[in-house]
Amino acid sequence: MFPAGTSSEPRTRITLGEFIGLTIAGLALGAIYAIAASGLVVTYTTSGIFNFAHGAIGMVMAFVYWQLRVEQHWSAPLALFVALLLVAPAIGLIIQTTLIRRLNPNDTGMALVVTLAVMVALMGIAFTLWPQTQGRLLPAFYGPNAHLSIGGQLITYEELISIGLAVATAVGLRLFFYNTRLGISMRGVVDDRQLMAMNGRSPAMLSALSWAIGAALGGLAGILTASTYSLDIINLTLLVLNSFAAAMLGRLRNLILTFVGAIVLGLLDAYVVGYLKLTGWLVHLRPVVPTLFLFVVLLALPAVHLRSGTAAIAKAIRIPAGARSLGNGVALVVLAVVVAPFLHGTVLGNVNAGVALGIGALSIVLLCGYGGYVSLAQYAFFGFGAWLFSEVGHGGNPVGLLVAAAAGAVLGVIVALPALRLRGLELALSTLAFGQLAYYMFFLQPEVMGRSDLAIPRLHLPGLSLESGDRNLIFLTVVFALASAGVLALRRSRFGRILVASKDSQVAVATLGLNLRLSKILLFALATALATFGGALYGSTQRLVTADNFQYVSSLFIVLIVYVYGVSTPGAALAGGLSLAIAPLLAVHIPVRFQAVTYFMTGFGAFVLLGRPTGIIPAASEWLHDKLPRRVLHEPAVGTVEVSRAAASDA
Amino acid sequence: MSAHAIELIDVHAAYGGIEVLHGVDLVVPEGSLVAMLGPNGAGKSTTLKAIDGRLVPTSGCVHIAGRHMNGASTKQLARAGVCSIPEGRGVFPNLTVEENLRMVTQLHADLSMSEVAERTYARFPILGNRRTQLAGTLSGGEQQMLAMSRAMVSDPSVLLVDEPSMGLAPRIVAEVYEVLRQLAAEGITMLLVEQFAQMALSIADYAAVMIQGRVVTFAEPADLGDVAGAYLGASA
Repeated sequence: MFPAGTSSEPRTRITLGEFIGLTIAGLALGAIYAIAASGLVVTYTTSGIFNFAHGAIGMVMAFVYWQLRVEQHWSAPLALFVALLLVAPAIGLIIQTTLIRRLNPNDTGMALVVTLAVMVALMGIAFTLWPQTQGRLLPAFYGPNAHLSIGGQLITYEELISIGLAVATAVGLRLFFYNTRLGISMRGVVDDRQLMAMNGRSPAMLSALSWAIGAALGGLAGILTASTYSLDIINLTLLVLNSFAAAMLGRLRNLILTFVGAIVLGLLDAYVVGYLKLTGWLVHLRPVVPTLFLFVVLLALPAVHLRSGTAAIAKAIRIPAGARSLGNGVALVVLAVVVAPFLHGTVLGNVNAGVALGIGALSIVLLCGYGGYVSLAQYAFFGFGAWLFSEVGHGGNPVGLLVAAAAGAVLGVIVALPALRLRGLELALSTLAFGQLAYYMFFLQPEVMGRSDLAIPRLHLPGLSLESGDRNLIFLTVVFALASAGVLALRRSRFGRILVASKDSQVAVATLGLNLRLSKILLFALATALATFGGALYGSTQRLVTADNFQYVSSLFIVLIVYVYGVSTPGAALAGGLSLAIAPLLAVHIPVRFQAVTYFMTGFGAFVLLGRPTGIIPAASEWLHDKLPRRVLHEPAVGTVEVSRAAASDA
Repeated sequence: MSAHAIELIDVHAAYGGIEVLHGVDLVVPEGSLVAMLGPNGAGKSTTLKAIDGRLVPTSGCVHIAGRHMNGASTKQLARAGVCSIPEGRGVFPNLTVEENLRMVTQLHADLSMSEVAERTYARFPILGNRRTQLAGTLSGGEQQMLAMSRAMVSDPSVLLVDEPSMGLAPRIVAEVYEVLRQLAAEGITMLLVEQFAQMALSIADYAAVMIQGRVVTFAEPADLGDVAGAYLGASA
């Protein structure tokens, strides 16, 4: 999560002067985190919605500032004024009024998904407007030579500016939220919107204002970061994400604790770089320092109260009966048999990868769709499964698949344990952190897949060779059909009902005497087993993988795309996996500028959910159900007959 | 211009597709206290919502001080002097007592914070002791008092109160009703919704009995006679 190119040379002995220098650098970074985190806290306390897109807003603002300052040659004060006091609040307002206003704050899952989608969409827009083929640099506010000297250590004006701005932000926010009527109203509106209206203030205006302020703070943090480090879309977005850890220390509400957390994070970063020898397996330690901090904070948080639910969707989703789901599976396999011979080369390879991803993505249907837990670490599980298969499945031995699944179940329990006591939001954050940890501390290790491509054998079933792509496709389709039939059977079972019930109302489930924790652990074990199983198949299909195949950002894509298609529908896993695998093929045919196909597809795609919260597939099947003549759907045609009789008698 | 503070003419209102008010006709004369009684689900609270703007009527007219107010927002109505105290404590639980009172001051430009605090603490000394405490940590009775303070200090043209006795101990209920009686004595027009008739009728000028989405009886408490007994289980 840290911009590349910042030095991390080990030092052996550190003088007092160097210590002071490190401390000032740490404070300066902590100051940036503090500004970013306070923006997050402001939005959360006043709108009840955790803004995953906060980092992306900061990133976009850094680029907007670059555009004005460097491309348009504006003076720094003018560019800052326009960027932070006009453009950033406008972006916050637009996001709030067009998207966030339509969310129900009680529906944590949907709020998470939509703000994640905003983040991904903003990244897509940035990739389009500011293609990364060109290097960009922000000039320092006071140039490289403007510094003070304390104890022989150079302290740049930039560092002082960051610290000063953080202090100003802290004081300003405190005064605003506790001493002005507008500020107090903004804290009150999250308690009771209607009551706020009865007190003569528009709740909509207050929420919009809070997003405008949050965006401006995110923008300030983004610009400060970019002027210290580099202008890189992914790094900037994720660097501001680090401030999540600081905000969590204040439980997203307490500004003072949030600032403490931010300063601790900044100092930790500086001391880790200054005092530790970051070599060997520790070489990637620096970017995961905030992640480890976040884990500690999440573990220390007190357990939340059980919540009761609210109706989030208007209509229940039909669960296909056993015979129907088997029929769908058979139809799918027949389709694969028919299509396979027509596919060749890269297309065939990508379709294969897509189906394998679809198998792994069924875990999202289990976790998010049935359980209501947004998990953002699926690609870490995929990668773990692929790696295990390469270690265990010599010559494509199918036992390797089982080992991968079993290890996945264990891994799932380990991941679920710390999150058991927490809400959906903390779970999402901790899984995102886990995905990042897995990427830096595991996949990037030279022994795993960090140094060179990892070769994974193609699965070899006794008496059945899967070496050719078309056979592999049919095999994968059969596996997907069986797995999704299994997932549906699970949904119809007693366990499935408990899952869906606890997603609705934990209080009701607990008072019925059912064991919430056990079902949660079981769910994570099952889902993660499915994910590592799918990952093993994905690896065996790809044959060669690198750490980049399992980037933690990809986990966001797959969760979003499965939500878009319908997170409670197994078919969405297949559609999602295929979409992600095929998108790069489209990229070849469009201008370089629009390469961020995946970002657009998943980011903007997710906005469909605001109108159709159940996703595309359930909405489409409902539409078909209403529009098509009934006999097409093999149902009694009573209605049709009666209508035609009535028409006849009228005539 | 009519002399009625509130006048509802054939008001229909619905939650989604389900109609709850099937043509409510109601008059609250200027300066009077009307108690709206009726069984659970009769539409009493919904009627209040149609008046204070939380729910837009599907048809019919809502007149406040003779002006047609259908579709005005809660905020606009609040600023126009409609003070509504919703069911279940109209307070912000995560703001302190003092901050809750500060919210009241935005209704009138001429209300100063010190004046609001002074008048509230004079009437409810207990709130003065708890001024820096979060409203959510107050007892139910204290929260109701805090909610009532908005009506006390903002000098509303119309006061709507929804089930002020809900969940409160009888002694606290008596205290709340004492405040309502004082407000009525000051000449504030009031529409009071209550499921338990006796208390409400003791201070009301008129009673409106609602059954199944309509006002079926409108009379002075003394003339209510059988209706009260038949539908409310308590006589005046």
